[in-house]
Amino acid sequence: MKCNVETNKMPNRSADNGLLLTGRMMHVSRLATIGEMASGVAHELNQPLAAIANYAQASVRVLNSPNPDMADIREALVEIGAQAVRAGDIIRRMRNLVRGDDAERAPTDASELVEEMVDLLQADARAHDTQLTLTLDRALPPILIARVQIQHVLLNLIRNALEALIPIPSRQREIVIGTQRLPDGDVEIFVSDNGPGVAPTVIERLFEPFFTTKPTGTGLGLAISNTIVRSHDGTFGHRPNTPSGACFYMRIPSISGAES
Amino acid sequence: MKEKPPAVIIVDDDEAVRSSLRFVFKSVGLAATAYPSAQAFLTAYDPDQPGCLVLDVRMPGMSGLALQEQLNLKGAMIPVIFISGHGDIPMAVEAIQHGAFDFLQKPFRDQDLIDRVQRALAKDESNRSALKERSRIRERFESLTPRERDVLALMTTGKANKVMAAELGLSQRTIEIHRSHVMEKTGASSLAQLVRMAMDLNWTNVT
Repeated sequence: MKCNVETNKMPNRSADNGLLLTGRMMHVSRLATIGEMASGVAHELNQPLAAIANYAQASVRVLNSPNPDMADIREALVEIGAQAVRAGDIIRRMRNLVRGDDAERAPTDASELVEEMVDLLQADARAHDTQLTLTLDRALPPILIARVQIQHVLLNLIRNALEALIPIPSRQREIVIGTQRLPDGDVEIFVSDNGPGVAPTVIERLFEPFFTTKPTGTGLGLAISNTIVRSHDGTFGHRPNTPSGACFYMRIPSISGAES
Repeated sequence: MKEKPPAVIIVDDDEAVRSSLRFVFKSVGLAATAYPSAQAFLTAYDPDQPGCLVLDVRMPGMSGLALQEQLNLKGAMIPVIFISGHGDIPMAVEAIQHGAFDFLQKPFRDQDLIDRVQRALAKDESNRSALKERSRIRERFESLTPRERDVLALMTTGKANKVMAAELGLSQRTIEIHRSHVMEKTGASSLAQLVRMAMDLNWTNVT
């Protein structure tokens, strides 16, 4: 099947569009990337855990002392309980964010979603001296997705690609973001870069939680992306890019018969 | 002047972490005060309060690292122990490079924290007494008369009395008298100790 693919070198935004985008931009930058979000959650989770550990260990010490103050111990136990509940709340919030609610899902044109996202990322790409190129299929069937979650995945992949390109001379850095319809009816969204690619030793651990090759990474970005795409009955994967670099893709079933 | 008892000072934006740390220190009989932000601590900062600082690296507003920088600028010598969450190792390295006393990742064994705090308190005490000793010695050096300072300068370069007498145009007898005044006033028990004191103070002859 031949797709109607258009290649589009992104022009500079006009002033009007810039104004229009500001509101959405603020929304997306609040979301930040999955990696940053996960890092925040990990930090947040550490606080109640640290408090619980402190209270429990100090309570043992107090109990081992000649005249333990039971009022202190009771207070510590109350706090331990409260902090455990707090940790649970944080995990629940995280899970809701990843799993989302089916009710939030709406039929979406993947190409429009990509364009909107890329508009917001042009400034970031320019700051990295990186060319963003789109290859979008303009006749895609809609996919049923939670928009914010899939935007998260896309944002995460693009930010990863921008980082992967840092070792490449600045004039040659290029990211291609594309959409296409696959023979089985799935819609694929991919992000490819001409960076150094994924090392063979890393490939099989790529989606493993807490596995990271970055000094300040959380190892959660791709793992969460994977979870999000799978919760949409999709597949999330990686293939080498030709002639060089990496390509990450998500394939999500299209709504068959839903078009009218 | 009455010495203040040492205290552990906690700076962490998380209320639960703060009060759990206070409980830990209370369980080993250590006085602790806590501040919810770097700014709150700086406002209340008392350089004469002996103790050590237990500081969270990541805080909204001024971070732990920024606070450390402020304290370094003030010439504060209070030992700083950083505590931080997962994935903050590069920050830890930076903190240590800027003179942090130690670093712990949350959650930690509280005994590890207590051990480090005890060491930090001992370090603070020895820093403070060394500083006090230095200022006592400086006072003694500053009580020397201009003539005695001249003699001191020559003594520390190892000149013999006869040479000093010639250089300063004084009699050997006078040099001997100045010399014994220098030893008496500074409290040095030997020429070697006098030289060491002068070096410690970075003493240069100002006449």
